[in-house]
Amino acid sequence: MPTDPKALAYFAAGIGAGLTIMGGAAGIGRLAAAAMEGIARQPNAAGDIRGAMIVAAGLIEGVTFFSLIVTILLAIK
Amino acid sequence: MILGRLAALAAATEPPAHEAAAHGGAEAAPHAVGPAEVLMHHVVDSRWGDLVIGPLNLGPTKHLFFFGVAAALVILVVRLAMRSYRQGIPSGLGAAVEALIVFVRDDIAEKNIGHDGRKFAPLLLSFFFFILVAALFGLIPMPSYDFKTGHLSLAGVTSTGNIAVTLGLAFISFLAQQWGGISKFGVVHHFLGMVPPGMPKALLPIMIPVELIGMFTKPFALMIRLFANMLAGHMVVTTLLLLIPLMAAISTAFGVLMIPISLALALFIMILEVLVAFIQAYIFTLLTAIFIGMYAHPAH
Repeated sequence: MPTDPKALAYFAAGIGAGLTIMGGAAGIGRLAAAAMEGIARQPNAAGDIRGAMIVAAGLIEGVTFFSLIVTILLAIK
Repeated sequence: MILGRLAALAAATEPPAHEAAAHGGAEAAPHAVGPAEVLMHHVVDSRWGDLVIGPLNLGPTKHLFFFGVAAALVILVVRLAMRSYRQGIPSGLGAAVEALIVFVRDDIAEKNIGHDGRKFAPLLLSFFFFILVAALFGLIPMPSYDFKTGHLSLAGVTSTGNIAVTLGLAFISFLAQQWGGISKFGVVHHFLGMVPPGMPKALLPIMIPVELIGMFTKPFALMIRLFANMLAGHMVVTTLLLLIPLMAAISTAFGVLMIPISLALALFIMILEVLVAFIQAYIFTLLTAIFIGMYAHPAH
């Protein structure tokens, strides 16, 4: 069955976006869970933990966006 | 802000009719715009005029114009805040700006760079306020006229949603990171200090390329992160609003039913974008400060 290569690109973009979000969500979810636990155990350190958490979340999010841009390019080009 | 997006959508409601006309054997419509074109029109730069100097075309573009407006707004707001200081105790705007400035100076600059962090505070404050204002600016609908296609639309324009703008910001951040090390140790010791002392000689061929790549990856990640965050927010809002014409193409009733759902989702994302504006300004400033601190205090 002949397939339009564009259809495959859209398919790849959809799958890729889904996989990207799964990875990013798992990473940020684990991070937030650990940070919550840390704050609950040591409420005095809440400020420091929150700062470190935001930095780590930013780094994870940055990597996630790399791959999201690839999927956007797949869907648009 | 919602009305602004809807104005852009007015163009989007046309494609089914145009496509039908094109399929009917008629000449292709001059402005046949599909959802992808509307999405691209919203986030991609468009040229407003030409000013050719040598090989460069320095004419105003959409993002260049709003970049200038955001920068002017930062200067204006800070000048107004300074004025309220001259009368003694700051109030209103002055107090609000002061809270942010003290936060950036104490909790970002001095905490991560050390006691010479105060030297970098003006740069970090410029990053913080420019990124914040540019991102918040994108949530306000602005009339944007495309001279090429003649489409007038009301849309929020975020100049940091252009990779060239974030490249410039990241390049300045890169220079500041290197300056953080060079100003403290001198050029030779700055580059020698990147490789931890006591490293076995055999590892040097691996360590030196790794450190060099790491040097350029840091600003590159800053660039991509800010660009993608600003782009993604606008794309999500536009896509959610594009659901209305897409549904209306199936049946008018679907389109009408979709309006409240679509508007509610778009409004939610827009409120989230206000939060993202602050977080991205904070992260860019904080990571720049951390990287400057890393070069100013290498591993001993």
